[in-house]
Amino acid sequence: MAVPIKYNLRNLLVRWHLTLATMLSVALVVAVFVMIMALARGLKSTYVSTGDARNLLVLRKGSTAESSSQIMRDEVRRIRYLDGVARDADGEPLASAEILILINLERNDGTGSANVLVRGIGPVGLRLRPKVKLVEGRMFEPGMRECVVSRKVAGRFQNCRIGDEFRSGRTMWRVVGMFEAEKTAYESEIWIDADEAREVFKRNFYGSILIRPVEDAGVVAVMIQRMEGDKQLSIRVLPEVEYYREQTKTAAPIQWLGGILAVTMSIGAAFAAMNTMYAVVGARTREIGTLRVLGFKRRDIYLSFLLESVILSLLGGLVGCLLSLPLNGMATGTMSFTTFAEVAFEFRITPDLLGKGLVFALTMGVLGGLLPARLAARKPVLDALRSS
Amino acid sequence: MTIPGFILRNAFRNKRRLILTVLSVALSLFLFTMLQTALHELTNPATTDEAALRLVVRHKVSLGNVLPTKYQARIERLPGVKTCMKLTWFGGIYKDPKDFFPQFAVDADKLTQVFSEAQFDPQQIAAFQKDRTGCIVGIKTMERFGWKIGDRITLQGTLWPCDPELTIRGVYRGGVDETNIFFHFDYINELMGKLDIVGTFWLVAESAEVIPELIKRVDETFANTDAETKTETERAFVLDFVSMIGNVKVLIGSISSVVVFTMILVTASTMSMAIRERSREIAVLKALGYDGWQIFGLILAESFGLALVGGTIGAGGAWFLGWFMTNVGNIAAKSNNLFIKFEVTPHILASALIITTVLGIISCLVPAYTTIRTSVVTGLKELD
Repeated sequence: MAVPIKYNLRNLLVRWHLTLATMLSVALVVAVFVMIMALARGLKSTYVSTGDARNLLVLRKGSTAESSSQIMRDEVRRIRYLDGVARDADGEPLASAEILILINLERNDGTGSANVLVRGIGPVGLRLRPKVKLVEGRMFEPGMRECVVSRKVAGRFQNCRIGDEFRSGRTMWRVVGMFEAEKTAYESEIWIDADEAREVFKRNFYGSILIRPVEDAGVVAVMIQRMEGDKQLSIRVLPEVEYYREQTKTAAPIQWLGGILAVTMSIGAAFAAMNTMYAVVGARTREIGTLRVLGFKRRDIYLSFLLESVILSLLGGLVGCLLSLPLNGMATGTMSFTTFAEVAFEFRITPDLLGKGLVFALTMGVLGGLLPARLAARKPVLDALRSS
Repeated sequence: MTIPGFILRNAFRNKRRLILTVLSVALSLFLFTMLQTALHELTNPATTDEAALRLVVRHKVSLGNVLPTKYQARIERLPGVKTCMKLTWFGGIYKDPKDFFPQFAVDADKLTQVFSEAQFDPQQIAAFQKDRTGCIVGIKTMERFGWKIGDRITLQGTLWPCDPELTIRGVYRGGVDETNIFFHFDYINELMGKLDIVGTFWLVAESAEVIPELIKRVDETFANTDAETKTETERAFVLDFVSMIGNVKVLIGSISSVVVFTMILVTASTMSMAIRERSREIAVLKALGYDGWQIFGLILAESFGLALVGGTIGAGGAWFLGWFMTNVGNIAAKSNNLFIKFEVTPHILASALIITTVLGIISCLVPAYTTIRTSVVTGLKELD
């Protein structure tokens, strides 16, 4: 017969100050873990959601990022009209030759400046990215020094609202529209016309070509082979999804930090739980004796104390999850090591992350409770009853 | 029995609790020290007297934009400039992207004047300057790949469309970063068909006093040109990078305080356990004539000692790990040069010590207060 849970709960209440202190230390560990992992997760999901499974990206051979890749104009001409490239109703190839340029803008909150990505896109660039939607204003007109910005950039940087003008080099750019991009990496970008970008920023090349291939897989395979095999075209072709998946490694240091911190801190919290449980066992020696006399088995006592430790830490885990929740959806930014530009993203706390936090708490409870529970179960009945 | 003996006996009366508490304090201080060191390394890039005189000139739009090489002559003519060197971040791949190390194309004849804190061998420098395809490699990168002088290496350009083939002509030691590799700017400029563009200019100012004036003068010289410049000190230049990683300071700062707070909770609850368990003894001490302050002193000494031992183990462990990672573990290579070294400075050790002290005092305040206020009779009656 198991010792009723009510017994444990009431015991936790009786020593509420000790319970509270231990619970809080577990809670803080869980909160730190969930918060840091939410940061890493938000960053990762931003990249993962950016690519479109239907698109291919063309970069210079050896390039790992669009911003450092170079594709010459005659190469663009040759690639655009290849057989595998899909065409729209007017026969226009669905291929957007693009260029990424870093510009330095002042932050809105007075914390200095950061690099922002300016993407020069071709006429079909917007159509190739169904996740990007113009929500305010209008699209830029090529040649008019106009741009559209993402809502996040508009919020984070000075002079980036519709109607504003910001200066980069000797050119003033007028913001004429604002877009949203379903939490993808495009939300950290400013878009202008690709050829205008090349003219203003003095580049005689493009950075990449985004292609929507035809649906026939065989034709596409032949096209990729032709492009990569062509000695005159020094390029590589990869699915857009894969390109962005590679960038999730930006989140690696954060995950590292989160992992190390969580493990170290949880060992500390498990020590705290162990201390508490030892004290509890010591103080209740007489009760343990009484329970045994009443007919409870050693195993029941063992489970009862283990359960108490688990309840204690799970309560802490719950509090920790609650503490971390307000962070969900909070916007922040970091530098991408691929593009050296700031990428904006949000903390993402998902149910499974909270679940992981609770599992963490549970582990701390079990680790902290095992030894004290064993001690309790092994107490000889008579000695226990005699103790003061 | 002496007073210290009495305190020690009390501390050791429950060895299990003592060990657990000391260990949890040690863990927390270990974390605190590591976090603070990480923060310190990120926000206070290593600097030297020589570095204080160095200025970096870059394109005003961003580092991703380039400057014409012809600016060099105009900068050199400005008063206050001792040396002006072209420097381009090459960012190529050696064999595999994982084999990362910083690569710079520079003016071969000015390298030693600008990075004067590094130790170069004059003969090797002469050999490097004579060979257009020569390069000078930091000792750490040399050792990492097992290179010897005379070896040939090829870098695959990612930012720049060329693949320089270099011959190692010399090694440098010392300076802030021993992982760099320097080669001739003229060589890659030629490979790329004389585009005559450069990433940055690095200047050495004649003295610290002229720096503010010099910064203004350089930027004014190129105002309203196609490529306006932004000039800043080396330190400001590096800090710009750090600020882009995000709000590291806030993140690490808040984690540190959570760690410290958790630690106070743990230690305070342990101390209160330890003290409550002896409320009877304390009552006896009082009955024997010890006053509240003396008893408080006993408790404080115990709590303080406990915190100090834990703190020493924790901070000392962090210091050792930092030393190990810097000197044996090659942290620079493993962290992609995010951390050049991982040194627990005396300053950080001191703050760890202060926290330990505060911890020792705070954690015994509440339990000591309650116990001292308890009357002898109540204390003696207490069973638990």
